Parts: sequence; structure tokens; C-alpha cells
Amino acid sequence: MNRSTKKKVVGVIRFFVLAFYLLLVVLPIYWMIVTSFKTNAEIVNAQVITYWPKTFTLDNYKGLFSVMNYGTYLKNSLIVTLSTSLVVTVLSIYGGYGLARFKFRGKGVAMVFFLVTQMIPSILVIIPLYVVFSQMHLIDTYTSLFIFYTVTNLPFCAITMRSFFERIPYALEEAAFVDGCSRGQTLWKVVLPVMFPGIVAVFVFAFIGAWNELIAGTIFLNTQKMWTIPIGLKSLVGKYNVDWGSMMAGGCLALLPTALMFIFVQKYIVEGMTAGAVKG
Amino acid sequence: MTKNKSGGKLSLQTKRKLQPYLYIAPVLILLLIMFGYPLIKSIVMSFQDYKLSRLDKVSWNNFQNYISMFTDKSFLLLLKNSLVYVVVAVIGQFLLGLGLALGLNGKFRGRGIYQSIVFLPWAFSAFVVGLLFRWSFNGEYGVVNDVLLKLGIIHEKISWLGTPGLSLAVVIMAMIWIGIPFFGINILAALQSVPEDIYEAADMDGCGTFRKFFTLTLPYIKPTIIMTILLRTIWIFNSFDLVVIVTEGGPANYSQTLPSYMYTQAFSSYDFGLAGAFGVLLMVILTLYALIFLKITQYDKAGDF
Repeated sequence: MNRSTKKKVVGVIRFFVLAFYLLLVVLPIYWMIVTSFKTNAEIVNAQVITYWPKTFTLDNYKGLFSVMNYGTYLKNSLIVTLSTSLVVTVLSIYGGYGLARFKFRGKGVAMVFFLVTQMIPSILVIIPLYVVFSQMHLIDTYTSLFIFYTVTNLPFCAITMRSFFERIPYALEEAAFVDGCSRGQTLWKVVLPVMFPGIVAVFVFAFIGAWNELIAGTIFLNTQKMWTIPIGLKSLVGKYNVDWGSMMAGGCLALLPTALMFIFVQKYIVEGMTAGAVKG
Repeated sequence: MTKNKSGGKLSLQTKRKLQPYLYIAPVLILLLIMFGYPLIKSIVMSFQDYKLSRLDKVSWNNFQNYISMFTDKSFLLLLKNSLVYVVVAVIGQFLLGLGLALGLNGKFRGRGIYQSIVFLPWAFSAFVVGLLFRWSFNGEYGVVNDVLLKLGIIHEKISWLGTPGLSLAVVIMAMIWIGIPFFGINILAALQSVPEDIYEAADMDGCGTFRKFFTLTLPYIKPTIIMTILLRTIWIFNSFDLVVIVTEGGPANYSQTLPSYMYTQAFSSYDFGLAGAFGVLLMVILTLYALIFLKITQYDKAGDF
């Protein structure tokens, strides 16, 4: 095989590979969206499964807002998620910077500890916290979820932030030190502007983690007016019967914010992980 | 500090020494308290008769929780399901993620848009994805059966979620689907970090595509692959939301895993002692896994994790 035919063959293979992944992702999403616009009669009709809504309806979406207070859930989710991701991002900046830029005693232990936090089953954290939160009257408050989400998202975000810092040349900071900047000033005025992609990425990681969480929410929140979106949707799942139309409509709305966010920042994530590339 | 003769200089040195701790202290202290306390508390609970309904009657119970855990008649099934779930899901995600990263590594038109679509499942909640799979694999109204029937692959509808073996397979497929982007992004970033010039040298030596991949690319991205597999295995092994949402462990525990069983037990009977015992078992398994995995891959020698 000569060079140009080889190139063509590689191109064709790549086209099919990429097409495969596109379908793999798009088809399930398509099915969710299509189902959300169908009438209930059309959805549960075992004789004919339609691949495009025969009667196009917005009832499933309207129902979410009129029957199940989707607006309230949205507000709760936003409050908990935004506060969590802001705090996680700031803490990760300091922690990540400390881990990336200094050698100190106990660093190895700290890194192992981060790994261990990932091994602890979430239920093992939730149960004791549930008991403590009940004693402190924190059940049914935003605070309970804020605390839990901050803590559970922090290890991964801090470690990721560390590797972003490690990809930025140290010479940049040294120049600032020579100019008489303190470490704190250097961090905020010199390093962070360059780190923008990494910071956005970490913020989004924390946002996604908190926005999508269901289990702790169902345990820490009892009253309906405090529920977040996943808990609200969960209440639509009956033991034997699921209202698939509303379910899929709710799913679409739940995924929309994180999906949009991700579309805009995914290139920053890859960029943040690649640029400079000192180590994996 | 005052003991020292050259006091001023040392205090600056001490300040220097303390500086790193000031940066990481907020994170470390928070994590130590919030993970440390629950961890110790659950280990203690696992040796106690600890039921939420009878908090006034908490007492040591002579390993009773561990005995009930190991003698539970579904224990072996749970262990087997957990292993199948984690092994198949991790291998599936890794291979498909690697394929995606290799496909994306290079320039082509529309790459930006393409990338933002194929990485989307990363942003999705396991809860919604679980429901979507449960709906698509519905035995009566599900689209999967309809497509397979139309293609002539099957001749009658399959009850995916009601058949032992198949129900776990659906959970695994959902888990693979949601996890491909994590591998894809990490491996893609590593691939883009491989310096171009090593390939040029290999081209001049007349290396083939496959040889280049195995002798140059793979060693270069190996640390990323090892870390990603390690983290992902831990997360998947402990995750139970997909099981709970897609099958609720059914039929008859055939898709139940250790963590999902632990969750169901903990919040149906509120027997936190038993749940603690399951949790300790999961931690022990994962610690052994991490130690062995890091040893075999020799990552402990190469890296600083």
C-alpha cells in the first residue's frame, strides 16, 4: 500500500468510528426528547411504536410546572448547586496550588488520603451525617446538602486543580516574585488569569456533581418545598407504574443546564488537561 | 523559634515551611473531619446493634452484623454481580473511551461541535440516564425490542429487566454509556501531550502504525490510563444509583450489587450496623484492589500519587 491509499483507508475508518460514537450518544437522547413530546396514549401503545410524535404535545412539560412545582425544585437546585460549586472552586484553588507548588512533609500521605476519600462508599458518609444533622436540626435545610456536596466533590476537584497548576510554567511566578509580588498576589493576579480554562472546568465538575445528585437529597430532605430537581423527578417513579411522558420531559429539563454548560466548556477541559503537559 | 540564635532568619524560614500548610489546610481539615468522622463512626457502628428506631438501645453485638452479612443467602450472588458489574463496565468504558480518543486525535472539520456532543454523557445525571435506559429497554413499549424485531435479530419481545442476567446487562450498558467520555477526555488530553517529534523519528525508521501505537503512544499515555482506570473502578464499584433506578436489583436480586443491597437494607430497615458492616467490606475490597493494582502496574515507583 502506498502512502496516499493508506491515508484514505485511515480516513474512512476514522469516519465510521466517529459516526458510531455519534449515533451511540445521539440516539438515546433523541429517544428521550421524542418521547417527551408524545401523548400518553401514543407512548404506551404496544402495537405501534412511533419514531416521531404523531400528535405533538407540550402537555408533559406543562404538567411539570402545574402539577409538580418544577419551578420550586429548579430554584432549590440552583441555590444548592451554585453555592456548592463556588465554594468548591475557591477551596480547590488554594488546595490545588499548595499541592502543586510546594514540597512538604506529609504530602505523600495527603495524596493517599485523597485517594482513600474516593473509596469510602457514600452511604457510609450519609448515615453518620444523617444522625448528626438530625441532632443539629439541619435536616430539610439547604445547608445539609451544601455541606455534603461540598465535601464529596472537593477531593476530585482539588486534585484536578493541582494537575492544572502543574501544567503552568513556574517561571511565570518567579518573574512576579522578582517584581516584589507576594505569593498571594501572584496567585490571584498572575497565575489564575492563565488558569482560566482550568478554573472553569473545576467549577463545572462541581456543578455537575451537585446538580445531578439524588440519593443524599432523598435522605436529607423530607418536605417537598425543599426538594431539588432529581428528588422531584424521583417522586414520579411509582412502584409499578411510571408516567414516561412527564419523566422524559423532566429528564430533558434536568439535563439542559448541565448539557449547555458542558458544550461551552468541554474544550477548556481538554485544553486545561493538555496544555504544556508535564505529566499524566 | 526564639531558641535559635539567628532568630530573624529562621522565623522567615519557618514561615516558608508553614506556607504550604496554610494553602492546603482548609481543604485537608474539612475533608479530615467530614470523611474521618463518618468513617470511624461507621466502623464503630458495624460492631454494634445500631438501629435508627432504637437509638437508646445501641450496644456491642459480638460481630453479629458481620455474621449476618456473610451468612446472608444472597451474599455470594451479590459478590458475583458486583464483580461482573465492575469488571465489564470498566473494561467497556476503557476500550470505547480509548477508541473515541484515538478517533478524535487529529484535525477534521467540525471537530469542536462533534466533541461537545460525544462528551455530553459526562454532564448527565445517572438518575436520568438510568430512567432513559429503563424506558428504552421496557419489555412491552421499549424501543430496543422494536428495533431488534424490525431488524429481524429477535422474533419475540424480550423482557430485559425481568430476566436474570439481562437485567444486570442493561445496568452495565447504562454505566458504560455514561462513563465513556471520562476515559475519552482523559486519554485524548494525554494523546495530545505526546510530542510530535517522537513520531517523526519513528517514521524515519519505518515503523508501522500499530508498532508506533504500542511502542510509542501507549507507554506515553500509560500513567493517565492507570490513574483513570483506578479511579473509575473505585467509583463504579461503590456506585449503586443505576442499579436502584434501572432494576431496583431485580428480578430477585439478580442485578443487585453489594452497595445497592447495602443502600436498600440501610434505608428500608434502618439497620445502620449491618450497613456499616457492608461498608467496611467494600472498603477492604477496594483497598486490596488499589494496592495490588498499583503494584502490578508499578505506578507506585513511577508516580507521586
